[in-house]
Amino acid sequence: MTTKLLSLLFLVFTCFAFGQEVDIRGTVTDQASGQPLPGVNVLVKNSSKGASTDFDGNFEMKNVQINSILIFTYIGYKDQEIVVKNGDAITVALVEDSEALDEVVVIGYGSAKKRDLTGAVSIVDSKMIEEIKPIKIEQALQGTVSGVNVTTQSGAPGAGLDIRIRGISTNGANGPLIIIDGYQGDIGVLNPNDIETITVLKDAQAAIYGTIGANGVVLITTKSGKKNAKTSVSYNTYTGFQESSRTLPLLNATEYALLLNESYAANGQALPFSNVTGLGTGTDWQEEILNDNVPIISHDFNVSGGSENITYAISGSHLYQQGIIAPKKSDFRRNTARLSLGVDLSEKLRVKANAIYTYIDRDAINDNGLGSVLFNALNTPSTLNPYDANGEPTLVPNTTGLGIEIINPIAQIENTYNDFDLRKINGTVSLEYDILDSVTLTSRIGYNTTIQESKSFAKQVDYGGKVFDVPRSSVSQNAENFNDYTLDIFGTYKNVFNESHDLTVTLGTTIFKTFGNGLFATGYDVPNNSWEFADISLATGTSDARDVGSYTFDERRLSFFARAQYAFEGKYLLSAMIRRDLSTRFGPENRVAYFPSLTAGWIISDENFFDDINSVNFLKLRASYGVLGNDQIGNNGYVSLLDGEATYVFDNSLVQGQAIGVLPNPDLQWEEAKKFDVGLDMKLFNNRVDITADYFINTRDNLLIGNIPVSGITGVSAPGSGSPTVNAGKVENKGFEFAIGYRDNLSDDFSFGINYNITTLQNEVLEVNNSTGFLDGGSFGVGQLAPSRMDVGNPIGYFYGLQTDGIFQNQAEVDAHPSQNDLGASAAPGDIRFVDINGDGNIDANDRTNIGDPIPEVTMGLNLNFKYKGFDFVAYTFASLGNDMVRNYERTLTDVNRLNYVLDRWTGEGTSNTVPRVTTAATTNNVFSDYFVEDASYIRIQNIQLGYTIPAKFSEKFKISKVRVYGGVNNLYTFTKYRGYDPGASSGAPIGGGIDFGFYPIPRTYLVGLNLNF
Amino acid sequence: MKNKLINIIAVFTILFAVSGCTDDFIERPIPYSIDSENYFNSEDDYYNALVGAYDLLQSTYANAIVGEIASNNTLCGGESATDVIGWQQIDDMIHTPVNSNLKDIWNWMFAGVNRANYILEFQDKTDFEGKEIIIAEARFLRAYYYFELVKWFGPVPLKEVRFQLGDETSIPRSPVEDVYALIESDLIFASNTLSYTAPQTGRATRGSAEALLGKAYLYQDKFSDAAIVLENLIMNGPYDLVTDYDTIFENQGENGIESVFEVQYTDVEGASFDCLQCSEGNIAVGFSGIRNYSGPTFTPGFSFNVPTQEAYDAFDEDDIRRDVAILDIEAWAASTGATFGTGFEHTGYFNRKYLPRVRSANAAGDVNLTNPNNYRAIRFADVLLMAAEAFNRGSISDDKARLYLNRVRTRATLDDITASGNALTDAIYQERRLELVGEGHQFFDLVRTGRGNQIDGFSANKNELFPVPFEEIQFSNGNWQQNPGY
Repeated sequence: MTTKLLSLLFLVFTCFAFGQEVDIRGTVTDQASGQPLPGVNVLVKNSSKGASTDFDGNFEMKNVQINSILIFTYIGYKDQEIVVKNGDAITVALVEDSEALDEVVVIGYGSAKKRDLTGAVSIVDSKMIEEIKPIKIEQALQGTVSGVNVTTQSGAPGAGLDIRIRGISTNGANGPLIIIDGYQGDIGVLNPNDIETITVLKDAQAAIYGTIGANGVVLITTKSGKKNAKTSVSYNTYTGFQESSRTLPLLNATEYALLLNESYAANGQALPFSNVTGLGTGTDWQEEILNDNVPIISHDFNVSGGSENITYAISGSHLYQQGIIAPKKSDFRRNTARLSLGVDLSEKLRVKANAIYTYIDRDAINDNGLGSVLFNALNTPSTLNPYDANGEPTLVPNTTGLGIEIINPIAQIENTYNDFDLRKINGTVSLEYDILDSVTLTSRIGYNTTIQESKSFAKQVDYGGKVFDVPRSSVSQNAENFNDYTLDIFGTYKNVFNESHDLTVTLGTTIFKTFGNGLFATGYDVPNNSWEFADISLATGTSDARDVGSYTFDERRLSFFARAQYAFEGKYLLSAMIRRDLSTRFGPENRVAYFPSLTAGWIISDENFFDDINSVNFLKLRASYGVLGNDQIGNNGYVSLLDGEATYVFDNSLVQGQAIGVLPNPDLQWEEAKKFDVGLDMKLFNNRVDITADYFINTRDNLLIGNIPVSGITGVSAPGSGSPTVNAGKVENKGFEFAIGYRDNLSDDFSFGINYNITTLQNEVLEVNNSTGFLDGGSFGVGQLAPSRMDVGNPIGYFYGLQTDGIFQNQAEVDAHPSQNDLGASAAPGDIRFVDINGDGNIDANDRTNIGDPIPEVTMGLNLNFKYKGFDFVAYTFASLGNDMVRNYERTLTDVNRLNYVLDRWTGEGTSNTVPRVTTAATTNNVFSDYFVEDASYIRIQNIQLGYTIPAKFSEKFKISKVRVYGGVNNLYTFTKYRGYDPGASSGAPIGGGIDFGFYPIPRTYLVGLNLNF
Repeated sequence: MKNKLINIIAVFTILFAVSGCTDDFIERPIPYSIDSENYFNSEDDYYNALVGAYDLLQSTYANAIVGEIASNNTLCGGESATDVIGWQQIDDMIHTPVNSNLKDIWNWMFAGVNRANYILEFQDKTDFEGKEIIIAEARFLRAYYYFELVKWFGPVPLKEVRFQLGDETSIPRSPVEDVYALIESDLIFASNTLSYTAPQTGRATRGSAEALLGKAYLYQDKFSDAAIVLENLIMNGPYDLVTDYDTIFENQGENGIESVFEVQYTDVEGASFDCLQCSEGNIAVGFSGIRNYSGPTFTPGFSFNVPTQEAYDAFDEDDIRRDVAILDIEAWAASTGATFGTGFEHTGYFNRKYLPRVRSANAAGDVNLTNPNNYRAIRFADVLLMAAEAFNRGSISDDKARLYLNRVRTRATLDDITASGNALTDAIYQERRLELVGEGHQFFDLVRTGRGNQIDGFSANKNELFPVPFEEIQFSNGNWQQNPGY
């Protein structure tokens, strides 16, 4: 070390002694597109002097010796060396290193050059994230990456999203494993601007994560500084206004009254509205609760840079979003602070650390399904006024036809009070030590620790005999804390033999432990019945029932793994992995499992015979096969615990006993995903065209299915009990992925790029291992058979119901048709005619059949970008085709408001063959059938953005290297035939998904923003 | 090189050991949990499990209200023709195997069987003084749940330890006689072990077991067995009729001298529609309440289970029980100024015995689901009438039959019956209906005596039993056949 320092000093000294120095400046561009390249490292050879280019590709260096050599390096491009002759400006055009494809991709416990990858891997970089402006990072994967589908659970601020990689396979957790800088983390709370790249491992490449990689792996690399880069500072902000992307066409007051009269008359009842004149259009309840110009604001700030031995990145961000429903009661605030530091302690020892602090404050209204604010807005009659004469929200009358579950949504919002706070620190510390030139030992620990607090206030309120009445005020408070750590220790041996045998061997272990607890309590009689006083410290009332609770958990995983990567002459690539895993999720006999995989690649374009093919710059063929695991099920499913409910009354007071909880399955074992993939990567026409194509077959065996319906004789319906998790089947997903990108610059001022990707997916259940051969799930209406099913030969979670055949036009048609009495009522003209599928001359539940499924057959993304002088434009679109959705947000009460498609109902022979008659009498029209299944295919313009960058010559006067202003729209428009709020929403359940209980619409957001770089 | 390799191996080994990277890392106790298979180590454990077995009694609210709706006493009512469609169909006798309400009864009663069997499976594990009381109560409860199952569904699978997954495909539906045989042996054991006074109010007694045993005999037309056990209970038990019929169904009348077995409810704990069987309240009460009611004494509900005009008219004008059992809402509203709404199949009458009463301000929500009204499962009046029926129909002694029958009539301030033979049988049937109207017995009394045809829409040789849930037939994978006619 000392000698090195001395020699360095010596070098510097010689420079001073003999050198003639100049100040130099220059610009670095991409040779293919002519676009400036930001962040290119410029180093003076054999010195510590260096710089990096700014956002316009410009760099500047003072006191550079004449005849010294500048080295320009940039990921994905060939290095270039330039000799400094004089002080003239230097222009360098870097050539993309298509042959080397040197871009380094993290692949888990190491990294690989992109060209050497042998698995199906997709990447989203920070540039794309910057363009899409996701509020939550999951949104950046929708439409940008083939084989990935992202569904929203709700359009409410801060609501969760589900990521599905190559379809739905399992009934447990379908979400991929999220690895942040090497440790298992939570994607949902990250600040999108802290992310450098997102790498999606879609095939057996993920096998290095054996245990938990079955659903695919998303590797997130957070931003860090670059060595020898001068400090760069950026500040980004945007503000936006949101509105609902959709409202449903409901009946106005007059239409409603007339319809109601007709349905009462059809059952021989007195008309509820004797006079409909003067009712007019009445109240549009959606308008009452859906708001326009709802604000969203984001700021973030980044500083990064590095010296020879140290890199750093510091960032902070703030996001605040209000909901389009009840902006003051439903909002999402996220503040983050992050520090990333890398230090080379010596040539052989490197340490890296980063830490992210996140604060989230989320307040919510009841935003999904039965009882939600939207549900009430859809069902409350348009004849009611929002407010009464005293300015109070009108009570929904306590009449028979409106039931007890519908209240004035305005009052509901007013009486909603809750608060959710999350504080989280996550990060990693890692140490890399080069024991030998060829052996590196890495030890790192990643951690998450989260404290969550929530409070909800049940205000004493009387809606006049509705289920929402609260006779006694109470406040419920929860405190939960979750912790986990991932400890990795692994060694990597890397060597080249005889110049052509390139071998990398990785060997290591990972231990993972997650633990935490929760505490719940409720206090009664909140002083003044007011949110200001809603805290258990003041609400001292108690109830005779138990009003406290708690839980604790401790789950662990232990893994050992080995991987060998071998390349012969850089063009024949082979990688083999094996991993041994243990998990506490399974019983002692079934804890251990081994997961092997093999991937291979052939870079055909490196072969001699390819030399003459000029139009193809790069061609690689690859194939992979591997077995991955899944343990994402509830805790302790293998053992029967006394955590059921056993509460009874002796001596006139409650007594608590013990009872068995969820039924156990002692034979629980790993779910196995067998993944096969063949693919090719190709670059054509001077690298302007980039193609990736894959064909995959994923077979999921020993499918873990939670809460599987079982015979009631097992006691599964007892209070606090539940169905067991079982290994119950086999599902296959196969499909084709194709992504093509084209970019070109038509002139110095005009460049453009276009990216398109398409994924097809065919899902088929191959085996169901229970006695009945099928599994049911989901729910529809009230008291009906489960609408979703999994059985052999069909897609998982397909809709299983009656098939309709138009409407009975007259009594003769009814008489000619098999009896529908066994559905619960006899048919009359105007009722739906169901098909006698089994041909037994009788319509009943045995006539149910496949009437659609929620899995899209094809998903596509089309993304465009243009650049003309200072202007830039991007557009991201996503399409999902072939997915069905069940309309289940309509209440079957007689007096509720309805969607206006009922105006096309049957009112007499020949009037309609699609929409049945209205009547208050019992009919079978509400039995689950394809009448309720709608095609929810859609195309969504997710994001468009137009930006303008002020010419550098102006901005630099203010010492600002880049000023960009932009405007954009998120969720501009959705093309769909689906009637509900959001065809892209899903509960995420594999059996029972795609049933619309009234999903909150996603907001359309108009944004204006500013990017500044210093 | 070799040394370095050894160094590397040494470093790895140390790191692994320090980090705890051995398989032992995975061996961890499940924090704060009790394994159900390592339980029953103390008296408390048995008692706690017994509480769990009692818990399912609260879900028998469904049996009571559906038993009434199925009979000729009441109509389904509710909000509209599709409100709780499963009940509507049962009322009209057009129910099918697809019926979530019947499925509830099947599931909940088997859940009760399993919780009782959990104790019985481990009955020999730990000894302590008084254990036989807990075992006897567990057997009483198993008999209670199996009696419900056999009443509703006829042949059902039998097991004396917990059912396991897969049993549905291998254990057949035992014939009704076998189910009754198990019920009888459980109840005989319970009658011989328990005493007439319960250790805590709400627990089963010798009287509860004897009454249920008598009932089980009667349902099998074993009249002499029934007569013996019921007479013994009448003679030796501590029970009597409450003088004032009106007080029986009020809060202060709970667990009174007439109560032979009573399902306990309370309103101190909240409940929701998501888990009706989890409620500690009597759900049937809220469902029977007067729709949109506002006025004294009662609180509103969902207007199900509304008595028919025919049931109202079955009472003599001067039968004091009529206005206790059935509320004439028009008359009530006229005299008190109360207001109310009219639901589906509004008859003007409500099941007053189990109407929701005005409650304390501290009643937990959803108040419709947490009414505290205990269900008087077996009243002494029922015991007397069962005894009368056994003595009469078994041709043992019409004198004794009249004695017991007239004891019930006297309390109702009615004249004695003097008839004999079939006329006496009819009188007893009529008295059972009037005395027990609104309490969930009528449907089963009709079908067990071959009088099902008094119910509108009743199909003989079909509707005596309810269908096994569609889902269960599927789960059994051919092991179980559906009941005849469904």
